[in-house]
Amino acid sequence: MTTAMAADGVAFHRPVSLRILRAVFLALVLVFVVFPLVWLAIGSLKTRHDALAVPPEIVFEPTFEAYSKIVAGGFLGAFANSITIAVTNVILALLLGTPAAYALTRMAGKTQENLSFWVLSIRMAPVFAVILPLYVLFRSVGLLDTRFAVALAHLTLTLPLAIWMLMTYFRSLPIEIDEAATLDGASHWQTLVHIIVPISRPMIASVAIIVFIFSWNEFLLAFVLTSRSAQTVPVLVAGLAGTMTFDWPLIAAVSICSMIPAFLFVGFAQRHIVSGLGSGAVK
Amino acid sequence: MARPTVGPWLFSDRRIGSRPPSILRDWRLWFVAPAVLALALVVLFPSGYLIWMSLMHWVVTDPDITFAGADNFAAMLGSADFWSAAQVTLAYLVLSTALMIVLALGLALTLSGTRSTGALRALVVMPLIIPPVVVGFTWRFLLNGEMGFLGAFLFPMAGIRISMLADPVGALFSVVIADVWSRTPFMFLIFLAALQSIPKEYYEAARSDGASVWQEFLLITLPLIKGALVLGILFRVIDAINTFELIYVMTKGGPGRATQTLSILGWKTAFQGFDLGGSAALGVIMLIVTMVVAMAMFRRFLRVKA
Repeated sequence: MTTAMAADGVAFHRPVSLRILRAVFLALVLVFVVFPLVWLAIGSLKTRHDALAVPPEIVFEPTFEAYSKIVAGGFLGAFANSITIAVTNVILALLLGTPAAYALTRMAGKTQENLSFWVLSIRMAPVFAVILPLYVLFRSVGLLDTRFAVALAHLTLTLPLAIWMLMTYFRSLPIEIDEAATLDGASHWQTLVHIIVPISRPMIASVAIIVFIFSWNEFLLAFVLTSRSAQTVPVLVAGLAGTMTFDWPLIAAVSICSMIPAFLFVGFAQRHIVSGLGSGAVK
Repeated sequence: MARPTVGPWLFSDRRIGSRPPSILRDWRLWFVAPAVLALALVVLFPSGYLIWMSLMHWVVTDPDITFAGADNFAAMLGSADFWSAAQVTLAYLVLSTALMIVLALGLALTLSGTRSTGALRALVVMPLIIPPVVVGFTWRFLLNGEMGFLGAFLFPMAGIRISMLADPVGALFSVVIADVWSRTPFMFLIFLAALQSIPKEYYEAARSDGASVWQEFLLITLPLIKGALVLGILFRVIDAINTFELIYVMTKGGPGRATQTLSILGWKTAFQGFDLGGSAALGVIMLIVTMVVAMAMFRRFLRVKA
């Protein structure tokens, strides 16, 4: 870590005081970032009694009691709901977003600019503006508290994101690819399915991962549209944190479990995620 | 201007002398249509419906839904709750933005070197992909005045006797810190991309002219990342107006109205006060504010290239 910083390209020939300042700053930020998570993980391994001790116990007998409560308490259902909703949402966002993004990058001038800007501007609308109408809408068609309703509602966030990320990538593909396919007699649909999609596989995979994480993390829409049977993990955490009999280790354990997909995916596709999270904002 | 009247006004067709141009023949329309329809269903229709709702007297406990004109807006703009929430939102926005810019810029400058490891960057970005509800809980767990590591142990040892989450000012700072923890990485990524696009030669030239580190920053770095700064602030404004779950989990808007932002107020109006019309009016006001801010900043500072 320190060597990486000292040899930093931009920091070349910098005064020593500045380097020390940077090292201290970085160290402080890392403590700020990591400590809450470490403390949460430690908390999830305590008993309810141990968790309340002040000063906090650094040495204690770790227990998986809280984790077994997740299974015994019937909280696994929320995890199943979250997975189903996020996967459904990924499929919908990719099925709808891929052709749209492809066509948008193959359009000319003004229309493309306006449509793309419209898609991006949706990302800027306050979620609060759509929850009430969506609540009334889903209530009137009897879809409240269903996983499908939540997956559909999450498209508000994830479809513009998916389209925007895919457009950035499709635009970088040379138009000659399309032309060659057309010469060989392929329809536009065939070009997309058999040529564009296969060569874009890494990008589509990272879009899928980011969309999954957005859907998995989303709270407000899931909170308003579900009550019991379609409850997602964030809604469960908020629910547990709102009860009077506060079980700190249990909520900590659910919280830690709610981070598993994020950790897994970052482990697999860290580079794409990092650049992908920034795209849509940076062109 | 001189376009053919029946021509493909929406999608230009590159082929010359093709069949009578019709927008329905354009394959691109059919590729875009499903996504546009889906967005219309979950965004466009709800926004329109929101405006209609905001004009109605619509209280869940009252069976009559009647046209109310601007009554909901008048009631909302005349209520102390609204102005208190607007103030809290503004304070929250300014505090969190200031802290985030400093942190994100510092981090981006520290980590923009080519040799910085990806693992370090991933670690810094991690909070961004943790569910905000969980972020709120994590910080409540740390700041709790009876058993939290910070709230009940470290702060009292440092002489801070107030219970962070129970004190009006402390609670506001608490939610700001939690939000800064969670959302700084996004701004960091925007700044990082901007820094990395600055050609190294600029710095080399400045250095050979004897510029100090401070001058380099003020005269090269800052002007060249101005666009990214504006973009970061723009997204921050929208994020801050939208922040809900973090505050909901940490304080539920309390103590009193100390952390009750506009979105918390909107939620309470609809789901605790059962006043759907009033809540919709607030939603419309928030929508307008966000749009005006976004448009102004885009117009003023950024040329949107699609």
